[in-house]
Amino acid sequence: MSRSTLLLGPTCQYIDAMSHTRPSPVASDRIELKARKVSFDWERTPLHWVPGDPFTTHTINVLHLLLPAGERWFVHVYRQVLPLIRDDSLREDVIGFIGQEAVHSQAHDDVLPHLQRLGLDPTPYTAQVDWLFEKLLGDRTLPPGRASRWWLLERVALIAAIEHYTAFLGDWVLNADELDRRGADATMLDLLRWHGAEEVEHRSVAYELFQHLDGSYHRRVRTWATAFSALVFLWQRGTRFFMANDPSLVDGRASFAQFFRAGQQGVLPSTPEMLRSIPRYLSRAYHPSQEGDTAQAVAYLTASPGANGGR
Amino acid sequence: MAPSPPRALGVALAAGAALLARRALHRRIDASPLWPLPALPEPISGQRTAQGPTTLRRVVVIERTVPADGVVQLRLASTATATANRAPRAGRAGNPLPPWQPGAHLDVVLPSGLTRQFSLCGDPADRAAYTIAARLITDGDGGSREVHEQLREGTEISVRGPRNRFPLVDSTTYQFIAGGIGITPVLPMLRAVEAAGAQWRLLYCGRSRAAMPFLDEIEALGSRGERVTVVAGDESGRADLSFIAALPAETAVYCCGPSGLMDAVGALLPAGRTPRLERFTASTASTGDGGPFDIELRRSGRTVTVAPGQSALAAIRAELPNVPYSCQQGFCGTCRQRVLAGEVEHRDELLSAAEQRESMLICVSRCRDGRLVLDL
Repeated sequence: MSRSTLLLGPTCQYIDAMSHTRPSPVASDRIELKARKVSFDWERTPLHWVPGDPFTTHTINVLHLLLPAGERWFVHVYRQVLPLIRDDSLREDVIGFIGQEAVHSQAHDDVLPHLQRLGLDPTPYTAQVDWLFEKLLGDRTLPPGRASRWWLLERVALIAAIEHYTAFLGDWVLNADELDRRGADATMLDLLRWHGAEEVEHRSVAYELFQHLDGSYHRRVRTWATAFSALVFLWQRGTRFFMANDPSLVDGRASFAQFFRAGQQGVLPSTPEMLRSIPRYLSRAYHPSQEGDTAQAVAYLTASPGANGGR
Repeated sequence: MAPSPPRALGVALAAGAALLARRALHRRIDASPLWPLPALPEPISGQRTAQGPTTLRRVVVIERTVPADGVVQLRLASTATATANRAPRAGRAGNPLPPWQPGAHLDVVLPSGLTRQFSLCGDPADRAAYTIAARLITDGDGGSREVHEQLREGTEISVRGPRNRFPLVDSTTYQFIAGGIGITPVLPMLRAVEAAGAQWRLLYCGRSRAAMPFLDEIEALGSRGERVTVVAGDESGRADLSFIAALPAETAVYCCGPSGLMDAVGALLPAGRTPRLERFTASTASTGDGGPFDIELRRSGRTVTVAPGQSALAAIRAELPNVPYSCQQGFCGTCRQRVLAGEVEHRDELLSAAEQRESMLICVSRCRDGRLVLDL
């Protein structure tokens, strides 16, 4: 597992001490989850923060469109779930998870005014994402009892499926050295890696909560299919939206071929890797602790400028 | 064997229809990449008009002056900003800074990484620069020493905010009490209430006139009538605060200065009235200090008492164990609750002024007047 050896910064080299063992869900693996107060200075971040590569920039920028509303919705759902948790250590994890997600939502939300200042107004798209999470996936007037519980569990399972992908992306961005080599903006990389590292850090919580409350395999497969299709749908049109409205591009276009090539170059997740992650989530033996590397995530969080007062 | 003619026709028709549908869909998507999802009529994401809670801003010290003995005043302007196609060049003018109201403070991240809060004491209409002032505290934790020794003209630092925990309320009469460097948030208030034509008085205490900043401007502001009382310790000893007990009920009382002064003002006001105070803690809001108060949980039909040094969250959790919370430091927002009645002393670092009017973060914020009613 050579890619877990990486440079975290010019002075901090971290070498994975556990590279020969895959972590498994054992008690010693537990770390306390807590929200970190972060700050990022966007003033110097250019529109094309991956220099000369608007497609990669905008594909990653879609995160800023989806996450403010999406992670606010996670918090909204989990606030309702708290009374149903019968396991104190899981409850502690969920409480830490909620705070981290809330700050993720704020941090991505704070990028949007900067995009607007740079001439790329994201509001038409974010208003739709807001609708999706606030209305379509929001609370519904349902009879108390089975129907309400069904809708809550369905959303808890959706979050577990989405968290499989956030952990996948978090692990990817922590190891995406190619972005450093291309001179990507340091502040944006720090936002993505702080967020990615916390996603890796808390990757088991959503799945364990789902297992604790329900754990039905059918529901896992069903909600995975919904979450995956929705993510692909939202992501491709988000990239197209940015490319079409970018004030510095004459005829901005986005295609799957560009995505595939960027994946081969290492500036975006590779398509085969993404396809391989599907059967892993659908496997009956799946546990999120089999993915990603907690020690690497924690090491990044210790060094991240944004998570340490913005120095 | 070739397929029979009717079947071939069917396949061809279906393929043709699929191709047409695909082309129509593409045309539709090309015309508007956002088709076909409804939008929320009042969007939420990306709508923060003020500085976001996680946004840090790089500023440069453009002027350093010494308005009194042991006090430095700094003017901070935004550094150059990025444009659509390239990173900023040095020496270009920055964007206008976010607006602020009298009483607001700035979080300043010093070169060592320490974060300290400083009240804005310049003109809110000046969007090009923020003005702060700091007194050198020799036995402090090094924050003020760093400001005095490290921040020179041209030094770049980061700031967060501004945020306002000490807002100027509408009133016809005001009494301000400032001790030493505590004059900084009061100065923009004096200018604002004077411009609005309200009645105001100021008691300004300090060790000596030479160590009290902004005296000339303040005495000029108060030249009409005897509005300003200056008490310098080396000339006239301690200030007489007894007049506070007799202040009319409609007078808004603002106090900023050493904690001894603020406690004395609070103790002198008649029962049921509390002064508006500005306290600065090391960096994040502290839950500890503050008196006891009651919280009525309207939907649960219960009332809890928050002890001094206890957070509202801790008191409520004893009754309602599932009340949501997370960071317990006033920045994640998980514990936000709707306030139905009572005056909140907001200590969070998240909510906008509009959000503070109707809600509070129960992990850090407290009550100003003894009783709160929450929608819980």
